[in-house]
Amino acid sequence: MHLGLHNIHISDALSVWRRNLKVYLRLWKTELIAPVIEPVFTFFAFGFGVGALIGSNVSGMSYLSFVGAGVLAFTVLMRTVFEMTYGAYFRMVYQSTYDAILATPVNAESLAAGEIFWAISKGVIDSLFILPLIVIFGSAESFYTILAIIPLILGCLYLGGFALGVTAHIFDIDNFNIFFALFFSTIFLCGAWFPVDILPFWLQIIAYLLPTTAVIDLTRACLSGNFYARHLYELIYLLVVSFLAFEWALRSIRRRMVV
Amino acid sequence: MNHAVEARNLIKRYRNFTAVDNISFDVVEGETFSILGENGAGKSTTMRMIACRSPLSGGSLKVGNFDVMKNGREIRSMIGIVPQENNLDPDLNVKENLLVYSRYFRLPKHSIDKRCDELLDFIRLSDKKDAKVDHLSGGMKRRLVIARALLHKPKILLLDEPTTGLDPNVRLEIWEKLEELRSVSKLTTILSTHYMDEAEKLSNRLVILSDGKIISDGVPREIIQSNVKKYALEIRGLNAAEASFNHPKIIMQKRGSTHIYFADSMEVLTPLLQRFAAKQPILRPSNLEDVFLQFVKN
Repeated sequence: MHLGLHNIHISDALSVWRRNLKVYLRLWKTELIAPVIEPVFTFFAFGFGVGALIGSNVSGMSYLSFVGAGVLAFTVLMRTVFEMTYGAYFRMVYQSTYDAILATPVNAESLAAGEIFWAISKGVIDSLFILPLIVIFGSAESFYTILAIIPLILGCLYLGGFALGVTAHIFDIDNFNIFFALFFSTIFLCGAWFPVDILPFWLQIIAYLLPTTAVIDLTRACLSGNFYARHLYELIYLLVVSFLAFEWALRSIRRRMVV
Repeated sequence: MNHAVEARNLIKRYRNFTAVDNISFDVVEGETFSILGENGAGKSTTMRMIACRSPLSGGSLKVGNFDVMKNGREIRSMIGIVPQENNLDPDLNVKENLLVYSRYFRLPKHSIDKRCDELLDFIRLSDKKDAKVDHLSGGMKRRLVIARALLHKPKILLLDEPTTGLDPNVRLEIWEKLEELRSVSKLTTILSTHYMDEAEKLSNRLVILSDGKIISDGVPREIIQSNVKKYALEIRGLNAAEASFNHPKIIMQKRGSTHIYFADSMEVLTPLLQRFAAKQPILRPSNLEDVFLQFVKN
């Protein structure tokens, strides 16, 4: 089987990535305000608001500690998804940036890869700004905290890939509403604000099937330093899903752009 | 003669229609070749296939001896594309548009800056290099797109309707630039257009497409000569009685409210010219539009 993955030229993908970085650096002030403001207020709301109502420990930690991973992962994943839906759609349809790039030696797969790499990088940059906040709010207690970058990168890879694949199939920007309805409703099941195991059994099954659950659980493991066997399964699951989503995005962009 | 492009029985089918229907043509190295046709005739699809953006449904297409189905990367490295719609990057300024684009061609770092300045000079935008793209006029944007297509010194320049939607004076400006370009390099130029004057003025050879098929091809002057008479007399606002006119050497055609009389010599048309002098008739050489409208009519 011929994988779209094999068509990627890394240095071409990097050129696409650098285009996005250049634009980002020009807009960095506005680009960075959102990822800092959002988690602060989410902390206020969930840590101090909801958290004040929860006296007991949650999954063996204070609610503030528990919710830190949720705030971090939620912010980073959401921004990646926006980048690979509206951001990518603007570049593809309204600005014809993809058309301009595909008029050069860069092929569709390298273009898509560059876009996803960029979404991941943006996630990493955001994480690096949010992580200190998590530490300040007292949600991160472990030396492994910085390793949270790894599940977050995989989360950005799988969700960014999936979102870009969806974007490649969309011909009317309003159709994103369905995608976002699904994204925002399912993310509530993924253990960001409460542990998945308090859900009814059938909902737990759905929650564990959603790869975002693995991203949040692994992030939480890194922040708390408590690792269990299930984290290994989650990591493997995330790797497989990331690969599938990435490959699907490459193929979808080719099908959309080369017709 | 080497061929820059060789198309043989080229076919492009979409789900329920055939955009390009079994066409064959050659583009000779160094010439300017036009693909002329109405909207939907298959011009842009043909251009997309040459640019490796549209897989063939049938036939074969070689660009610079490379197969478009196999060597997309090699082909796209040697062609420069000026698309129908400006797709400059609005997030970047004028010079950044060139700098960022040059990375896609992997141009050597040390020469990029010089190359960009050279091109900005060529399109007379040096003093606008820090301007936002959105602040440029239509003609400036067009020139910048052309400069961007030349960054990597392509062997073949593809222009998809380069002057559609531009003011007449801007069109002239773009034509001048293209002629200047041809005079300084051996660039092969392929342009698609629905403007007859453009095809006639710029191209050495052309094909006329209609419904995805080639209905005529050759040198503009010869196509005109073999298909219509040499001179055309346009008269506006004639009524049916005035217009009807039988002369063995004159052919009449009606376009809107204008009647056009074609003949091989001016002398044959002179009596008409005198008779309708009050209507301010225009006597001119026949052009591709005359050919084109005849084909489309038939």
